[in-house]
Amino acid sequence: MSDLSIRNPNQSAQLMADALLRAGGGMSISLLMPPAAGDSSDAGQVGIHAPNFQQLTLAPAAFRRVQATAQEGQQPKYELLISASAVQQQVSALQLTSADALFDSAAGVVIQNTQFLIESRSVSESLGQIYLYRLLLREAHALQMSVS
Amino acid sequence: MQNAKDTFYTTLRNRLAALNPNRVMILRGIQRPGILVEDAEVPMAQMPADVFVLRWTALAIDTQLPSALAQLRCEIHYATGGTQSNSGLDRGRTLEEMDAELLAILNPPASQKMNYVQTTGPTAMGTRIFWSTPVFEAAVTSRERLTRIATIDVFAFQEQGEL
Repeated sequence: MSDLSIRNPNQSAQLMADALLRAGGGMSISLLMPPAAGDSSDAGQVGIHAPNFQQLTLAPAAFRRVQATAQEGQQPKYELLISASAVQQQVSALQLTSADALFDSAAGVVIQNTQFLIESRSVSESLGQIYLYRLLLREAHALQMSVS
Repeated sequence: MQNAKDTFYTTLRNRLAALNPNRVMILRGIQRPGILVEDAEVPMAQMPADVFVLRWTALAIDTQLPSALAQLRCEIHYATGGTQSNSGLDRGRTLEEMDAELLAILNPPASQKMNYVQTTGPTAMGTRIFWSTPVFEAAVTSRERLTRIATIDVFAFQEQGEL
């Protein structure tokens, strides 16, 4: 039997999540996004041209390590909590179909000048409305710097 | 050796685009034929389905010849969960389609070696690359996906001044 009880969704969960994220640090993070005009050349596909990722800022967010490194060689993992209202703003601004499309096209996350890779993501909902995105991150290996 | 790798990829990509224009993917904001070089893209948590992923592994060089002959092993990984319209029940058939496509784009087993580093655009080099017949490993079931690896040895003579 269907549950037909009426529940009016409102913004309270999103507002509370934003307030908690701000209170818990309220940092800004950046998604690495491909440029609007992609590189379709051969050189762009075999690793010769720089990808020229653009940084898309999202705030407020909270960042923390989720487990201690227990064994040698085991990489620590990190958790990033991002405000759903901030994500929704960027989804609308970029005219994307969903937040999934935004995260699917992201090449990584930059937090305080350190690059992380997105391993998985999940959402928290209230009355069918997403108020928080949770990303599981892994630190990207140190990349070789080109000296100009 | 990098020129041989680049040439092998672009050759397969161009042949795939001609053979099956519907096998496409959107990667880094652009639509491309469904084939990529793993080490030239952003690390991924899981290999994408319904595309061919080239992974370069072993390397051997025969220096007893007038020109050094490099033997580069390429693993081509591919996976499919079937189509949504068939609820994935056609994953065996779609894997077989990918087997056939891969076999088709690997023939003829040679191509003119190209240099893509030149700022003026791709330039033809003096030799050709050639490759062995593929060795298909047994299909592996990973949850709802069927995956397979085909291994090919690519051969290329090292030209003067080539990396």
